[in-house]
Amino acid sequence: MKQIVGVADMKVSNNTGESIITYSLGSCIGLVIYDPVVKVAGMLHYMLPESSLDKDKARAKPYMFADSGIPRLFKSAYQLGAVKQRLKIYAAGGAEILDQKGFFNIGKRNYMALKKMFFKNNVMINKQNVGGNVNRTVRIEIATGDIFVKTSGSKEVKI
Amino acid sequence: MTTIQEFIKEIKNLKPIPAVANQLLAVVDNPDSSMEDIANVIQYDPIMTASVLKTCNSAFFGLKNPAESIKDAVNMMGTDQIIELVLLKSGTQTLGKKQEGYGLEEGDMWKYSVSSAVIAKQVAVNLGLKNKNTIFTAALLKDIGKIILEKHVAQSSKKIKNLVENKNLSFREAEKKVFGIDHAELGAMIAKMWKFTPRMIKIIRHHHLTDETMMEDKEIAAVYLADCICMMMGMGVGADGLAYRFKNQAMNKLGMKADDIALIIAQFGVDMQEIEELLNIV
Repeated sequence: MKQIVGVADMKVSNNTGESIITYSLGSCIGLVIYDPVVKVAGMLHYMLPESSLDKDKARAKPYMFADSGIPRLFKSAYQLGAVKQRLKIYAAGGAEILDQKGFFNIGKRNYMALKKMFFKNNVMINKQNVGGNVNRTVRIEIATGDIFVKTSGSKEVKI
Repeated sequence: MTTIQEFIKEIKNLKPIPAVANQLLAVVDNPDSSMEDIANVIQYDPIMTASVLKTCNSAFFGLKNPAESIKDAVNMMGTDQIIELVLLKSGTQTLGKKQEGYGLEEGDMWKYSVSSAVIAKQVAVNLGLKNKNTIFTAALLKDIGKIILEKHVAQSSKKIKNLVENKNLSFREAEKKVFGIDHAELGAMIAKMWKFTPRMIKIIRHHHLTDETMMEDKEIAAVYLADCICMMMGMGVGADGLAYRFKNQAMNKLGMKADDIALIIAQFGVDMQEIEELLNIV
Protein backbone atom coordinates (compact mmCIF):
# COMPACT_ATOMS: atom_id res chain seq x y z
CA MET A 1 0.00 0.00 0.00
CA LYS A 2 1.11 3.50 -0.82
CA GLN A 3 -0.01 6.55 1.09
CA ILE A 4 0.21 9.53 -1.23
CA VAL A 5 1.09 12.96 0.13
CA GLY A 6 -0.36 15.58 -2.21
CA VAL A 7 0.87 19.13 -2.63
CA ALA A 8 0.33 21.09 0.61
CA ASP A 9 -0.39 17.82 2.39
CA MET A 10 0.98 15.61 5.17
CA LYS A 11 0.69 11.95 6.20
CA VAL A 12 1.95 9.96 9.18
CA SER A 13 1.72 6.22 9.61
CA ASN A 14 2.99 3.32 11.71
CA ASN A 15 1.61 0.66 9.38
CA THR A 16 4.69 -1.39 8.45
CA GLY A 17 2.98 -2.71 5.32
CA GLU A 18 2.93 0.77 3.81
CA SER A 19 5.14 3.31 2.14
CA ILE A 20 4.52 7.04 2.02
CA ILE A 21 5.27 8.87 -1.22
CA THR A 22 5.14 12.39 -2.58
CA TYR A 23 5.54 13.22 -6.26
CA SER A 24 7.36 15.88 -8.23
CA LEU A 25 8.70 18.33 -5.65
CA GLY A 26 10.12 21.15 -7.79
CA SER A 27 10.82 24.11 -5.49
CA CYS A 28 8.55 22.63 -2.83
CA ILE A 29 10.12 20.70 0.04
CA GLY A 30 9.39 17.13 0.99
CA LEU A 31 10.26 16.62 4.63
CA VAL A 32 10.47 13.04 5.92
CA ILE A 33 10.79 12.03 9.57
CA TYR A 34 11.18 8.51 10.94
CA ASP A 35 11.46 6.94 14.37
CA PRO A 36 13.11 3.52 13.91
CA VAL A 37 12.12 2.24 17.37
CA VAL A 38 8.35 2.57 17.04
CA LYS A 39 8.49 2.54 13.21
CA VAL A 40 6.59 5.74 12.74
CA ALA A 41 7.08 7.74 9.55
CA GLY A 42 5.78 11.14 8.55
CA MET A 43 6.00 13.16 5.36
CA LEU A 44 5.14 16.77 4.60
CA HIS A 45 5.02 18.43 1.16
CA TYR A 46 4.96 22.21 1.59
CA MET A 47 5.00 24.87 -1.13
CA LEU A 48 6.03 28.14 0.47
CA PRO A 49 8.11 29.37 3.42
CA GLU A 50 5.89 31.63 5.50
CA SER A 51 2.22 31.52 6.43
CA SER A 52 2.22 35.29 7.06
CA LEU A 53 1.81 35.59 3.27
CA ASP A 54 -1.86 34.65 3.51
CA LYS A 55 -3.27 33.79 6.93
CA ASP A 56 -6.64 32.59 5.62
CA LYS A 57 -5.00 30.08 3.32
CA ALA A 58 -2.70 28.96 6.14
CA ARG A 59 -5.75 28.24 8.30
CA ALA A 60 -7.47 26.30 5.51
CA LYS A 61 -4.32 24.55 4.31
CA PRO A 62 -1.66 24.60 7.05
CA TYR A 63 0.54 22.15 5.14
CA MET A 64 1.03 24.72 2.41
CA PHE A 65 3.66 26.61 4.46
CA ALA A 66 6.84 25.58 6.25
CA ASP A 67 6.13 27.40 9.48
CA SER A 68 2.57 26.09 9.86
CA GLY A 69 3.21 22.61 8.41
CA ILE A 70 6.42 21.47 10.09
CA PRO A 71 5.19 21.67 13.72
CA ARG A 72 2.06 19.73 12.75
CA LEU A 73 4.18 17.01 11.09
CA PHE A 74 6.22 16.52 14.25
CA LYS A 75 3.20 16.61 16.59
CA SER A 76 1.35 14.04 14.49
CA ALA A 77 4.34 11.69 14.66
CA TYR A 78 4.60 12.19 18.44
CA GLN A 79 0.96 11.17 18.75
CA LEU A 80 1.89 7.80 17.24
CA GLY A 81 4.66 7.39 19.82
CA ALA A 82 7.63 8.91 17.96
CA VAL A 83 10.25 10.62 20.14
CA LYS A 84 12.09 13.74 19.00
CA GLN A 85 15.60 12.53 19.95
CA ARG A 86 15.18 9.32 17.94
CA LEU A 87 13.90 10.94 14.75
CA LYS A 88 15.83 10.51 11.52
CA ILE A 89 15.25 13.48 9.27
CA TYR A 90 15.48 13.76 5.51
CA ALA A 91 14.71 16.74 3.27
CA ALA A 92 14.36 16.87 -0.52
CA GLY A 93 13.30 19.43 -3.11
CA GLY A 94 13.87 23.16 -2.99
CA ALA A 95 15.00 23.15 -6.62
CA GLU A 96 15.45 26.37 -8.54
CA ILE A 97 15.09 27.62 -12.10
CA LEU A 98 18.40 28.73 -13.68
CA ASP A 99 19.31 32.33 -12.73
CA GLN A 100 16.49 32.51 -10.18
CA LYS A 101 17.91 35.00 -7.71
CA GLY A 102 17.13 36.62 -4.37
CA PHE A 103 13.56 36.66 -3.14
CA PHE A 104 12.39 35.09 -6.38
CA ASN A 105 14.27 31.93 -5.46
CA ILE A 106 11.41 30.23 -3.69
CA GLY A 107 13.20 26.87 -3.60
CA LYS A 108 16.05 28.30 -1.58
CA ARG A 109 13.68 30.27 0.66
CA ASN A 110 11.73 27.08 1.33
CA TYR A 111 14.92 25.37 2.43
CA MET A 112 16.05 28.32 4.56
CA ALA A 113 12.70 28.32 6.37
CA LEU A 114 13.28 24.70 7.30
CA LYS A 115 16.87 25.32 8.47
CA LYS A 116 15.81 28.30 10.55
CA MET A 117 13.09 26.36 12.30
CA PHE A 118 15.35 23.36 12.95
CA PHE A 119 18.14 25.56 14.29
CA LYS A 120 15.75 27.17 16.78
CA ASN A 121 14.42 23.80 17.90
CA ASN A 122 17.70 21.95 17.94
CA VAL A 123 16.86 19.49 15.21
CA MET A 124 19.44 18.07 12.79
CA ILE A 125 18.87 16.96 9.22
CA ASN A 126 20.46 13.54 8.70
CA LYS A 127 20.41 13.48 4.92
CA GLN A 128 19.18 15.70 2.17
CA ASN A 129 18.88 16.11 -1.60
CA VAL A 130 18.15 19.80 -1.92
CA GLY A 131 18.55 22.47 -4.59
CA GLY A 132 19.74 22.10 -8.17
CA ASN A 133 17.47 22.17 -11.19
CA VAL A 134 15.80 18.76 -10.90
CA ASN A 135 12.47 17.70 -9.54
CA ARG A 136 12.23 14.82 -7.14
CA THR A 137 9.82 12.14 -6.03
CA VAL A 138 10.42 10.78 -2.52
CA ARG A 139 9.25 7.57 -0.88
CA ILE A 140 9.82 5.98 2.54
CA GLU A 141 9.17 2.35 3.49
CA ILE A 142 7.76 2.34 6.98
CA ALA A 143 8.96 -1.17 7.90
CA THR A 144 12.64 -0.37 7.25
CA GLY A 145 12.83 3.42 7.20
CA ASP A 146 14.53 3.16 3.79
CA ILE A 147 14.14 6.30 1.73
CA PHE A 148 14.15 6.39 -2.07
CA VAL A 149 14.42 9.38 -4.35
CA LYS A 150 13.65 9.59 -8.06
CA THR A 151 14.33 12.42 -10.47
CA SER A 152 12.36 12.47 -13.74
CA GLY A 153 13.92 10.49 -16.53
CA SER A 154 16.06 8.47 -14.07
CA LYS A 155 15.54 5.41 -11.93
CA GLU A 156 14.59 5.44 -8.25
CA VAL A 157 17.68 5.41 -5.99
CA LYS A 158 17.95 4.38 -2.34
CA ILE A 159 19.54 7.00 -0.14
CA MET B 1 20.89 16.37 -37.83
CA THR B 2 17.19 16.34 -38.63
CA THR B 3 16.42 18.90 -41.30
CA ILE B 4 13.53 21.34 -41.14
CA GLN B 5 11.92 19.43 -44.02
CA GLU B 6 11.92 16.28 -41.92
CA PHE B 7 10.32 18.11 -39.00
CA ILE B 8 7.65 19.44 -41.36
CA LYS B 9 6.97 15.92 -42.55
CA GLU B 10 6.54 14.79 -38.95
CA ILE B 11 4.16 17.67 -38.24
CA LYS B 12 2.08 16.65 -41.23
CA ASN B 13 1.71 13.19 -39.72
CA LEU B 14 0.33 14.59 -36.46
CA LYS B 15 -3.37 14.44 -35.87
CA PRO B 16 -4.24 18.13 -35.62
CA ILE B 17 -6.41 19.53 -32.86
CA PRO B 18 -10.09 19.65 -33.93
CA ALA B 19 -11.01 22.39 -36.40
CA VAL B 20 -13.54 23.83 -33.98
CA ALA B 21 -10.71 24.80 -31.64
CA ASN B 22 -8.98 26.69 -34.42
CA GLN B 23 -12.09 28.59 -35.38
CA LEU B 24 -12.71 29.35 -31.74
CA LEU B 25 -9.18 30.70 -31.37
CA ALA B 26 -9.81 33.14 -34.19
CA VAL B 27 -13.07 34.28 -32.59
CA VAL B 28 -11.43 34.59 -29.17
CA ASP B 29 -8.62 36.72 -30.58
CA ASN B 30 -11.10 39.18 -31.99
CA PRO B 31 -12.29 41.57 -29.27
CA ASP B 32 -15.44 42.36 -31.21
CA SER B 33 -16.73 38.78 -31.10
CA SER B 34 -20.09 38.31 -29.45
CA MET B 35 -21.40 35.46 -27.33
CA GLU B 36 -23.43 34.45 -30.34
CA ASP B 37 -20.37 34.20 -32.61
CA ILE B 38 -18.81 31.86 -30.10
CA ALA B 39 -21.91 29.69 -29.75
CA ASN B 40 -22.18 29.50 -33.55
CA VAL B 41 -18.67 28.19 -33.95
CA ILE B 42 -19.19 25.42 -31.40
CA GLN B 43 -22.65 24.45 -32.60
CA TYR B 44 -21.22 23.72 -36.01
CA ASP B 45 -19.42 20.70 -34.54
CA PRO B 46 -22.06 18.23 -33.30
CA ILE B 47 -19.62 15.93 -31.50
CA MET B 48 -18.07 18.84 -29.62
CA THR B 49 -21.52 20.25 -28.84
CA ALA B 50 -22.72 16.97 -27.35
CA SER B 51 -19.53 16.58 -25.37
CA VAL B 52 -19.62 20.12 -23.98
CA LEU B 53 -23.27 19.78 -22.97
CA LYS B 54 -22.58 16.48 -21.24
CA THR B 55 -19.80 18.06 -19.19
CA CYS B 56 -21.86 21.17 -18.40
CA ASN B 57 -24.69 18.99 -17.14
CA SER B 58 -22.42 16.81 -14.99
CA ALA B 59 -22.58 17.05 -11.21
CA PHE B 60 -19.29 18.98 -11.21
CA PHE B 61 -20.96 22.19 -12.35
CA GLY B 62 -24.24 21.66 -10.46
CA LEU B 63 -26.50 23.58 -12.85
CA LYS B 64 -30.09 23.97 -11.63
CA ASN B 65 -31.58 23.30 -15.06
CA PRO B 66 -29.82 21.28 -17.72
CA ALA B 67 -28.25 23.20 -20.61
CA GLU B 68 -29.89 21.99 -23.79
CA SER B 69 -27.91 24.01 -26.30
CA ILE B 70 -24.57 25.74 -26.49
CA LYS B 71 -26.43 29.04 -26.18
CA ASP B 72 -27.99 27.81 -22.93
CA ALA B 73 -24.60 26.72 -21.69
CA VAL B 74 -23.01 30.06 -22.58
CA ASN B 75 -25.84 31.90 -20.82
CA MET B 76 -25.65 29.80 -17.68
CA MET B 77 -21.91 29.41 -17.32
CA GLY B 78 -20.46 32.37 -19.16
CA THR B 79 -18.52 32.56 -22.38
CA ASP B 80 -15.10 32.05 -20.82
CA GLN B 81 -16.01 28.79 -19.15
CA ILE B 82 -17.45 27.33 -22.36
CA ILE B 83 -14.44 28.42 -24.43
CA GLU B 84 -12.16 26.80 -21.89
CA LEU B 85 -14.12 23.56 -21.99
CA VAL B 86 -13.89 23.36 -25.78
CA LEU B 87 -10.16 24.05 -25.70
CA LEU B 88 -9.61 21.49 -22.97
CA LYS B 89 -11.56 18.88 -24.90
CA SER B 90 -9.63 19.72 -28.07
CA GLY B 91 -6.20 19.52 -26.53
CA THR B 92 -6.47 16.39 -24.47
CA GLN B 93 -5.79 13.96 -27.35
CA THR B 94 -2.80 15.82 -28.70
CA LEU B 95 -1.18 16.66 -25.37
CA GLY B 96 -2.34 13.71 -23.27
CA LYS B 97 0.19 11.17 -24.51
CA LYS B 98 3.35 9.97 -22.87
CA GLN B 99 6.38 12.14 -23.74
CA GLU B 100 9.26 9.77 -23.21
CA GLY B 101 12.05 12.10 -24.30
CA TYR B 102 11.00 14.58 -21.63
CA GLY B 103 10.45 11.84 -19.06
CA LEU B 104 6.72 12.50 -18.81
CA GLU B 105 4.17 9.76 -18.23
CA GLU B 106 0.80 9.64 -19.92
CA GLY B 107 -1.32 12.56 -18.74
CA ASP B 108 1.58 14.49 -17.12
CA MET B 109 1.98 16.92 -20.00
CA TRP B 110 -1.74 17.49 -20.16
CA LYS B 111 -2.11 18.18 -16.46
CA TYR B 112 0.80 20.57 -16.70
CA SER B 113 -0.63 22.33 -19.76
CA VAL B 114 -3.98 22.81 -18.06
CA SER B 115 -2.35 24.01 -14.83
CA SER B 116 -0.21 26.39 -16.80
CA ALA B 117 -3.30 27.76 -18.54
CA VAL B 118 -5.15 28.22 -15.25
CA ILE B 119 -2.17 30.00 -13.68
CA ALA B 120 -1.68 32.19 -16.77
CA LYS B 121 -5.28 33.29 -16.51
CA GLN B 122 -4.75 34.11 -12.84
CA VAL B 123 -1.70 36.19 -13.76
CA ALA B 124 -3.75 37.95 -16.44
CA VAL B 125 -6.46 38.75 -13.90
CA ASN B 126 -3.91 40.05 -11.38
CA LEU B 127 -2.35 42.30 -13.99
CA GLY B 128 -5.67 43.43 -15.42
CA LEU B 129 -4.75 42.14 -18.89
CA LYS B 130 -7.64 42.09 -21.34
CA ASN B 131 -7.27 39.03 -23.53
CA LYS B 132 -7.60 36.41 -20.83
CA ASN B 133 -8.83 33.76 -23.25
CA THR B 134 -5.88 34.26 -25.58
CA ILE B 135 -3.49 33.99 -22.64
CA PHE B 136 -5.25 30.88 -21.32
CA THR B 137 -5.09 29.22 -24.73
CA ALA B 138 -1.49 30.17 -25.45
CA ALA B 139 -0.40 28.78 -22.08
CA LEU B 140 -2.35 25.59 -22.77
CA LEU B 141 -0.71 24.99 -26.15
CA LYS B 142 2.72 26.59 -25.74
CA ASP B 143 4.64 23.31 -25.43
CA ILE B 144 3.03 21.62 -28.41
CA GLY B 145 6.47 21.50 -30.05
CA LYS B 146 7.53 18.94 -27.45
CA ILE B 147 5.24 16.30 -28.95
CA ILE B 148 7.44 16.27 -32.07
CA LEU B 149 10.77 17.01 -30.43
CA GLU B 150 10.44 14.42 -27.67
CA LYS B 151 11.47 11.47 -29.87
CA HIS B 152 14.59 13.35 -30.92
CA VAL B 153 15.29 14.40 -27.34
CA ALA B 154 15.05 10.74 -26.31
CA GLN B 155 17.64 9.75 -28.94
CA SER B 156 20.04 12.52 -27.97
CA SER B 157 19.37 12.50 -24.24
CA LYS B 158 23.03 11.96 -23.25
CA LYS B 159 24.26 14.80 -25.42
CA ILE B 160 21.60 17.16 -24.07
CA LYS B 161 22.20 16.11 -20.48
CA ASN B 162 25.89 16.80 -20.89
CA LEU B 163 25.27 20.28 -22.32
CA VAL B 164 22.90 21.14 -19.45
CA GLU B 165 24.98 19.68 -16.63
CA ASN B 166 28.47 20.57 -17.79
CA LYS B 167 28.18 23.47 -20.20
CA ASN B 168 25.65 25.58 -18.26
CA LEU B 169 23.14 25.53 -21.09
CA SER B 170 19.43 25.64 -20.38
CA PHE B 171 17.45 22.68 -21.70
CA ARG B 172 16.02 24.85 -24.46
CA GLU B 173 19.49 26.11 -25.42
CA ALA B 174 20.66 22.50 -25.58
CA GLU B 175 17.76 21.59 -27.88
CA LYS B 176 18.68 24.47 -30.15
CA LYS B 177 22.33 23.45 -30.19
CA VAL B 178 21.66 19.77 -30.88
CA PHE B 179 18.72 20.03 -33.30
CA GLY B 180 19.09 23.57 -34.68
CA ILE B 181 15.57 24.25 -33.44
CA ASP B 182 13.99 24.32 -29.96
CA HIS B 183 10.54 23.19 -28.81
CA ALA B 184 9.19 26.77 -28.84
CA GLU B 185 10.22 27.35 -32.45
CA LEU B 186 8.93 23.94 -33.46
CA GLY B 187 5.68 24.66 -31.61
CA ALA B 188 5.28 27.86 -33.60
CA MET B 189 5.83 25.87 -36.82
CA ILE B 190 3.07 23.46 -35.83
CA ALA B 191 0.82 26.37 -34.88
CA LYS B 192 1.44 27.95 -38.28
CA MET B 193 0.74 24.76 -40.18
CA TRP B 194 -2.44 24.25 -38.17
CA LYS B 195 -3.43 27.81 -39.04
CA PHE B 196 -3.52 29.20 -35.52
CA THR B 197 -3.85 32.99 -35.36
CA PRO B 198 -0.66 35.07 -35.77
CA ARG B 199 -1.01 36.20 -32.15
CA MET B 200 -1.07 32.61 -30.88
CA ILE B 201 1.89 31.64 -33.07
CA LYS B 202 3.86 34.58 -31.67
CA ILE B 203 3.18 33.72 -28.03
CA ILE B 204 4.09 30.05 -28.54
CA ARG B 205 7.28 31.04 -30.38
CA HIS B 206 8.46 33.37 -27.61
CA HIS B 207 7.15 31.74 -24.45
CA HIS B 208 10.66 31.26 -23.05
CA LEU B 209 11.55 34.91 -23.75
CA THR B 210 14.62 33.80 -25.69
CA ASP B 211 14.34 37.12 -27.49
CA GLU B 212 14.32 39.40 -24.46
CA THR B 213 12.70 42.30 -26.30
CA MET B 214 9.54 40.16 -26.18
CA MET B 215 9.15 40.79 -22.45
CA GLU B 216 7.68 44.19 -23.39
CA ASP B 217 4.65 42.19 -24.55
CA LYS B 218 2.77 41.59 -21.31
CA GLU B 219 0.76 38.68 -22.66
CA ILE B 220 3.92 36.82 -23.59
CA ALA B 221 5.49 37.70 -20.24
CA ALA B 222 2.36 36.44 -18.45
CA VAL B 223 2.53 33.08 -20.23
CA TYR B 224 6.25 32.93 -19.44
CA LEU B 225 5.61 33.60 -15.75
CA ALA B 226 2.91 30.90 -15.63
CA ASP B 227 5.44 28.45 -17.03
CA CYS B 228 7.99 29.41 -14.35
CA ILE B 229 5.39 28.95 -11.62
CA CYS B 230 4.53 25.48 -12.97
CA MET B 231 8.19 24.52 -12.91
CA MET B 232 8.52 25.68 -9.31
CA MET B 233 5.50 23.53 -8.45
CA GLY B 234 7.08 20.55 -10.20
CA MET B 235 4.23 20.43 -12.70
CA GLY B 236 5.14 18.88 -16.04
CA VAL B 237 8.76 18.86 -14.98
CA GLY B 238 10.45 15.90 -16.55
CA ALA B 239 13.95 15.12 -17.77
CA ASP B 240 14.36 18.82 -18.55
CA GLY B 241 13.95 19.63 -14.88
CA LEU B 242 13.87 23.30 -13.98
CA ALA B 243 16.77 23.94 -16.36
CA TYR B 244 15.28 26.99 -18.05
CA ARG B 245 16.23 30.62 -17.54
CA PHE B 246 14.48 32.80 -15.00
CA LYS B 247 14.41 36.47 -15.99
CA ASN B 248 14.09 38.91 -13.10
CA GLN B 249 13.72 41.66 -15.65
CA ALA B 250 10.51 40.15 -16.98
CA MET B 251 9.09 40.21 -13.45
CA ASN B 252 10.01 43.89 -13.19
CA LYS B 253 8.31 44.62 -16.50
CA LEU B 254 5.17 42.90 -15.24
CA GLY B 255 5.45 44.68 -11.90
CA MET B 256 5.46 41.31 -10.14
CA LYS B 257 7.23 41.03 -6.80
CA ALA B 258 8.28 37.74 -5.21
CA ASP B 259 5.29 37.88 -2.85
CA ASP B 260 2.88 38.39 -5.77
CA ILE B 261 4.22 35.19 -7.27
CA ALA B 262 4.00 33.39 -3.91
CA LEU B 263 0.35 34.46 -3.65
CA ILE B 264 -0.40 32.99 -7.08
CA ILE B 265 1.31 29.77 -5.99
CA ALA B 266 -0.78 29.71 -2.81
CA GLN B 267 -3.98 30.25 -4.79
CA PHE B 268 -3.02 27.45 -7.13
CA GLY B 269 -2.47 25.20 -4.11
CA VAL B 270 -6.11 25.77 -3.27
CA ASP B 271 -7.41 25.40 -6.85
CA MET B 272 -5.44 22.29 -7.67
CA GLN B 273 -8.00 19.82 -6.43
CA GLU B 274 -10.68 21.44 -8.55
CA ILE B 275 -8.45 21.29 -11.61
CA GLU B 276 -7.88 17.57 -11.06
CA GLU B 277 -11.61 16.98 -10.76
CA LEU B 278 -12.21 18.96 -13.94
CA LEU B 279 -9.55 16.94 -15.77
CA ASN B 280 -11.34 13.77 -14.79
CA ILE B 281 -14.61 14.81 -16.38
CA VAL B 282 -13.35 16.55 -19.52
